[in-house]
Amino acid sequence: MVPVLVLWLAVCLTGTWAVDRGNFKTCDQSSFCKRQRALKPGESPYRALLETMELTNTRLTLQLINDNNKVRLLLELYRLQGNITRVKINELKPLKPRYEVPDVLIREPPTEPLSLLSQDENGVVLSLGSESQRVIISARPFRLDIMEGSDVLMSLNSRGLLTFEHLRMRKDTQADPEADKKEETDPANQAETTKEEEEKVEDGMWEEMFKSHSDSKPNGPSAISLDFSLPGVEHVYGIPEHADTLRLKTTENGDPYRLYNLDVFQYELYNPMALYGAVPVMLAHNTQRTTGIFWLNAAETWVDISSNTAGKTVFGKMLDYVQGSSETPQTDVRWISESGIIDVFLMLGPTPKDVFSQYASLTGTQSFPPLASLGYHQCRWNYNDQEDVQSVDAGFDEHDIPYDFIWLDIEHTDGKRYFTWDPHKFATPKEMLQGLKDKKRKLVAIVDPHIKIDSNYKIHNEIRSRGFYVKNKDGGDYEGWCWPGSAGYPDFFRADMRAWWASMFAYDKYEGSMENMYTWNDMNEPSVFNGPEVTMHKDAVHGAWENRDVHNLYGLYVQMATADGLTQRSGGVERPFVLSRAFFAGSQRYGAVWTGDNAAEWDHLKISIPMCLSLGLVGMSFCGADIGGFFKTPSTELLVRWYQTGAYQPFFRAHAHLDTPRREPWLFGPENTALIREAIRQRYALLPYWYQQFYHAHRTGDPIMRPLWVEYPQDPATFAVDDEYLIGRDLLVHPVTEEGARGLTAYLPGKDEVWFDVHTFQKHNGAQNLYIPVTMSSIPVFQRGGSIIPRKVRVRRSSECMEHDPYTLYVALNLQRTAEGELYIDDGHTFNYERKEFIHRRLSFAKNILSSVNLAPDAQFTTRSWIERVVILGASKPSKVTLKTADGQDSQLEFDFDASMSVLTLRKPGMNAGADWTVMLQ
Amino acid sequence: MRFQVLVAAVFWSGFVDSRKVRGISSSYKRFYKERKSFLCIDGSKIIPFEQVNDDYCDCEDGSDEPGTSACPRGRFYCTNLGFRPHYIPSSRVNDGICDCCDASDEYNSPAHCQNTCWNLGQKERAYVEGQMRTLDEGLRLKQQLIEEGVLLWREKQAQLRELQQVAEDLQIKLEEHRRRKHEAERLKEQTLKALEAGDSGLRHQNRTVTSIFQLLDSDKDGSITVDEVKAKVVLVHDEERLLSEDEALGLLGGGHQIDLTKFRRTLWDVLTRGDSVKIKDTPGSDDPHLEAADKAAEWEATNLKKVEEAYETVNMEISDLRKKLAIDYGTDWEFLFLNSQCYKLQVYEYIYTLCPFNQVTQKNTAGTEVSLGTWGMWAGTPKNQYSQMVYENGEPCWQGGSRTTTVTLTCGTETALRSVKEPSKCQYIMDFQTPVACQPVLKQRGVHSEL
Repeated sequence: MVPVLVLWLAVCLTGTWAVDRGNFKTCDQSSFCKRQRALKPGESPYRALLETMELTNTRLTLQLINDNNKVRLLLELYRLQGNITRVKINELKPLKPRYEVPDVLIREPPTEPLSLLSQDENGVVLSLGSESQRVIISARPFRLDIMEGSDVLMSLNSRGLLTFEHLRMRKDTQADPEADKKEETDPANQAETTKEEEEKVEDGMWEEMFKSHSDSKPNGPSAISLDFSLPGVEHVYGIPEHADTLRLKTTENGDPYRLYNLDVFQYELYNPMALYGAVPVMLAHNTQRTTGIFWLNAAETWVDISSNTAGKTVFGKMLDYVQGSSETPQTDVRWISESGIIDVFLMLGPTPKDVFSQYASLTGTQSFPPLASLGYHQCRWNYNDQEDVQSVDAGFDEHDIPYDFIWLDIEHTDGKRYFTWDPHKFATPKEMLQGLKDKKRKLVAIVDPHIKIDSNYKIHNEIRSRGFYVKNKDGGDYEGWCWPGSAGYPDFFRADMRAWWASMFAYDKYEGSMENMYTWNDMNEPSVFNGPEVTMHKDAVHGAWENRDVHNLYGLYVQMATADGLTQRSGGVERPFVLSRAFFAGSQRYGAVWTGDNAAEWDHLKISIPMCLSLGLVGMSFCGADIGGFFKTPSTELLVRWYQTGAYQPFFRAHAHLDTPRREPWLFGPENTALIREAIRQRYALLPYWYQQFYHAHRTGDPIMRPLWVEYPQDPATFAVDDEYLIGRDLLVHPVTEEGARGLTAYLPGKDEVWFDVHTFQKHNGAQNLYIPVTMSSIPVFQRGGSIIPRKVRVRRSSECMEHDPYTLYVALNLQRTAEGELYIDDGHTFNYERKEFIHRRLSFAKNILSSVNLAPDAQFTTRSWIERVVILGASKPSKVTLKTADGQDSQLEFDFDASMSVLTLRKPGMNAGADWTVMLQ
Repeated sequence: MRFQVLVAAVFWSGFVDSRKVRGISSSYKRFYKERKSFLCIDGSKIIPFEQVNDDYCDCEDGSDEPGTSACPRGRFYCTNLGFRPHYIPSSRVNDGICDCCDASDEYNSPAHCQNTCWNLGQKERAYVEGQMRTLDEGLRLKQQLIEEGVLLWREKQAQLRELQQVAEDLQIKLEEHRRRKHEAERLKEQTLKALEAGDSGLRHQNRTVTSIFQLLDSDKDGSITVDEVKAKVVLVHDEERLLSEDEALGLLGGGHQIDLTKFRRTLWDVLTRGDSVKIKDTPGSDDPHLEAADKAAEWEATNLKKVEEAYETVNMEISDLRKKLAIDYGTDWEFLFLNSQCYKLQVYEYIYTLCPFNQVTQKNTAGTEVSLGTWGMWAGTPKNQYSQMVYENGEPCWQGGSRTTTVTLTCGTETALRSVKEPSKCQYIMDFQTPVACQPVLKQRGVHSEL
C-alpha cells in the first residue's frame, strides 16, 4: 500500500512539471484508432479479385473486395526506379474523392517495368525489375509478399489488419442512394447490401467529443489501416517526432506511436505521444539489410509495433538458438490513419545509404543552407529592444565568442502582428540590422502563421479580402486564439495564398527587413490555444478538404512559402534560411527544424541526440535542440554541457523562455565563459567539415548526424546506441550528458578501425568500449583513421569573417596508412553552386603521398584560401617532405614530428585550396 | 603648427615601424630586434626571424605573429595615434571589419578603413572633459549634499531627541493620568457602595417625607398627580408593569392630585409599609454625589486615553525615525537627502518610480501599479558598496519568485532616474544618476591628448 501511495504521489508531483496529458488524446480517445485497434489479426475480409488484374509495363491494378460488405478497393502497384515498390489502395468508387497528399513527392516517381512470372487461382507472382525480387499477391485473404531469393523482405496484410472504412451516407438522417447504384452495377449483391446495412454505427463515427470540443465529422468514418511484417528484423527506427529512444519500442503495452502535429506544452520524455512534427517513415534494419516504409498520409496517424522477440532476454534468445526452437525474429508494424488513402513506398535498400537515397529520390534532400546558419545562433524570448540587441552583440565581442545570428522572438512585433516592428522598442530596425551587418552578422525575426484579427492590420485585411483564411465548418473564417488574441489562419494549402505570402517577404513589403534578416516559423502545427488538443478543429476547411485530411502538412507549407519568399526577395540569388517547428515528409527541402519547447533538464539534453538522429534518418538533417533548455533554468554545469553537445549537432542555437533569467555565455563567471567559448570555437573551426556534410546531404540525402549502425550496419552492438553518434562518416561524438560525470564509456565501432582523439591525438582501436575520464572541459570527439578533415583554426567573430582563411588538414591514417577526405568551397550563400560555381576536391593519402584531386572538373570557382598546415595523425617521421604544385614546381616543406603521439605537422605548405598538388613524405 | 609637425613625425616613424614588425607596442619592441632568430616570448621555442609575422603560428604563446591572424591566442597592438592605443585579438586582423581606428588591423583586406583616430580622440577628449566637468561639478554638489546630509542627520537626530523628550513627558503625564483615573474610579466605587448600603434603610434614615414627596413631584409644582405617580411608583412584585390609572388614583386616596399633607396620610403610608408598591429603582442617577463621581471617572478615562494615544503616536514616530536612521546613508550621510524623495521615468508604456530607501513601482498606461521591490540593501562592489542598491520582495511573478530591482548609482550633476531595463522577467535594473555617486578617484587615462 505504501509503495503504491508513494508512486501515486510521485506521479502527481512530476505531473506538475510535465505535460498535461489530459489535453491530448490517447488511442482510446481517438475513435478511429480505438475502432481499428480493436480488430483482431487473422480475420481479413479482403480478397483479391485476380480476374480484375490489369498489367501494363509499369503498373499493375487489381480489385480487392471486402467479403463482409462487398465494398471494392482498387490496388495499384508500381515498381519505382531505385529499388522502391509503391502500393496504392483506394476505394474503387468512393462516394467522393479521398485525399491524396500533393507537393510532398518532388515529382511523379519514375517507374520501371513489371513483369508477370506466374499466375494461378491462388495468386500472382511478379518480377520486380532485374534483381531477383518478386512480389507475390495472394488472393484469399489478400496478402502481398516481397521476396528476394528465398527470403521474405516484407509482407503486407499478413496479419489481416487491412481496413478501409469506405465513405458512406449517414444512415440515421437520410436514405442511402448508393444502394440503388450498387444493385445496378452488381445485381447479385442484394443480400450483401442488407448485410452492409447491418454494420453497426459505432460511437464516434459521425461525431466525436474530446473534452469540450465537438468534431462534426460530416464525412463519417474514413479510416485506413495496413499491417507490415518484417521477418528477421528486431530494430526499427524513424517515424519522428517523438521524445523517445532512437530504437523504437514495441507498443503492445501502451499507446501506439502517434503522428499528429501538436504544440505540446512541456512535453514528457520516453513516450509515444505526438509532438510538433510528423514524418511517416520507418526504417527497419538487421545485419543483412535495411529497408524503409514511407506511409504517405497527412492525417492523424498511429503506428503500432510488435515483435516476437520483445521481452526476451539475450539468454532466452540464445536458448532458443541452442535448442533450435527459435522462430525467426520478426517485427510487425501496423499503420492506422484517420482518412485519405493507402499510398505506401516500400524502400528495399539493401544498405542504409540505399534507403536514404531511395527516400531522397521521392521527397528530395536537405536544402543546402547558407554557411553562416551553421554557426552559433543566440536566441531568447525576448531581446527587448534595439539597445538590448546591440549590447548582446557587443557582449560577444567583449568576451571574444563567435556568433552568426541573433534572434528576435514574438515580442519584437507591434502587438504580435507579424511582419511589423514594435514602434518604440524596434523603431529603426534597419539601423540595427546594419549594425549587425557591419560585423558580418545576421538576424532572424519570427513570423508565425496566426494572423491577428484587426482591421487596422494590413496583412489581416489582405488575407481576409482575398479569402485566404482557413474556413470553419460553416464556411466562415476560422478563428482561434493564439499569441495576438483572436487570430485567423491563412490557408497555406492554396498555391495562390502561398505565392502571396512569399511576396510579403520582398524588401519593399516587409518594412525594416534587409538581406541579413532571415525567418523563423513557430506555432505552425498550427497551434490554436483554444482548439482541441491545442490545434485546429478537424472539421475546419481548407478548400475542398478538411483539416482532418491534411493536418500534418500545414507546417510544411508554411515553411515552404516562407523559404520561397526569402529566395524570391533576392531574385532567386540567395539561399534562404527558415527554421520551422512543425514539419512533414519533405520539409527537409525548406530549411531547419528544432525539437521545440524542451526543458532545462539533463534528460532533455540526453534526448536531443535520439530526437535529431531519428530526424536525420528520415532526411531531415538540419536539426537541433534549444541549448540550455527552453523552460526552466539550467544549472551552470548543464548549460556548459549543453553547449558542448550542441556545438556538435547540426543546428546550434541557444534559446530561453521569457520567464527565465538571462543566460548569455558570459554570465556564469570567467571559467564557464571560457568553457562555452571553447565549445563554440571548436564548432567554428569545424565549419568547413560541417558545410561539406551539408553539401553531401543535399546531394545524396544521407543524414549528417547519423547513428553508428548506419556506418557499421553489421555490428549489432551499434544498433541501439543513442548516446553517441557520427557526424558524417569521420567524426564520432559522445557528448557528456550526465550530471557530475567523471568519466564515460564510449563505443568505438569497427574492428579494423582506429580512432584518434581530436584533442590529444591519442590513437584507439575500434570495436571496443573505451572508458574516457572527463573534466568540465571534455567533449569526447574522435576522428576515424582513414579520414581527412579540413578545419579553419583561425576562429573569428563570425563565419563570414573566416571566409578567406586558410585551412588546416587533419589527416588521420588507418591501419593501411591511407586516408581520404573532401574539401568543398563555394561562396557560402548563393545558389551559384547550382551553376557549378564551387570547388570540390578529393584529398587522399596513400603510399606516403597526400594529394588533392579535382572532383568536379567542370566546376569553376576561385578562393583566396590556402593550406596553412597539414597534421598527419599516426604518421612516422619522414626525412624530407616535398610539395609539388600544378606548375611542376617542387619545394621542400618544413615539418615537426611529435614522436610521442606520432603526429607529423607540415609547416605552411601554402598552396591554394582550389589547386592540384601533391605532398610526398620520404 | 608645432602640432602638425609632430603628427607628421610620428606618422612617419610609425610607418617605418609597422613595416618591420606589425602589431606590437613600443614596450615590446625589444623582443623583436632584427636578429637571425626569434625567441618566443614565453621562451618555448627559437625560430628564424623571417618567421616572425609570416602568417604561420610557430609560438605557443602567439608571440611570433603579433601582426597577423595566424595565432589563436595572439593579440595585435593598435597604435591608434591621436586616440587610445589598445590590443585586439589576432582574429580581428584582416577580417574585413575595421577595429583599430588607425586602420592598421586591415592592411590586407577588402575593407576600406579610414583613420578615424583623430576624430575619435577629439570626441573622447571632449567626452572626458565633459566627464571631468561633470565629475568636478558632481563632487562640488556632493560636498554640498554631504553638508546638507550632516545637517539633515543632525536635524533628524534632534527631531529624534525631541520626540523622545515628548515621549518622556507624555510618559510622566500618562502616569499622572493613570493615577487620577484610578483615584476617580476609586471615588466612584466608594459612592456607589455607600449608596447601596443606604438603600436598605431608605425609609427610616435618608429619606424623609419631604424628600420622597419632592422626588415624586417631578414638575415641582407642590402637588403629585396621577401621571407623576405612574412615572415613579411601581408594584413591589411586578416592577416592569406600569400602574393603571385606577391604581394610581387609589394610591392618591381617590383625588387627582395631592399636596404634602395629604401625601403623608395616603401614599407615604403605603410606601413606608413597603409590601405593595415602592419607588422605582433608579439608584445613583438621582443621587447627585454619585453622578458627580461618575462624571469625574469618565473624564479621567477620556483624558488618559488621549494621552495614551499621543504617547503611542510619538513612539511610532520614534520607531519610524529610528528605522530610517538605522539605514546606512553613506559614510557622510550623503545619501540621506534621497530619503523621502521619489524619481520618475517613463520607458515605453510604463512609468517607473524610484523612492530611494523605500520602494520601486511600475505603473502602466491603464494606471495599474505594481511593486518592483522595497528597500533591501546596498549591494555594490567591496570597494564601493554604495554603487548599487537592491529592492526586493516586489509583486510575485508568474513562475515563482518576486520582482526585484537593482539600482546602479552613477555620477551626474543632477539626481535623476536615467534608464530602466528588464533584461529578464521580473528583474529590473535602473541607472540612477546623482552627484553623491561621484567618486574623486575617477580619472580617464591614456588618451593621447598630447602627441
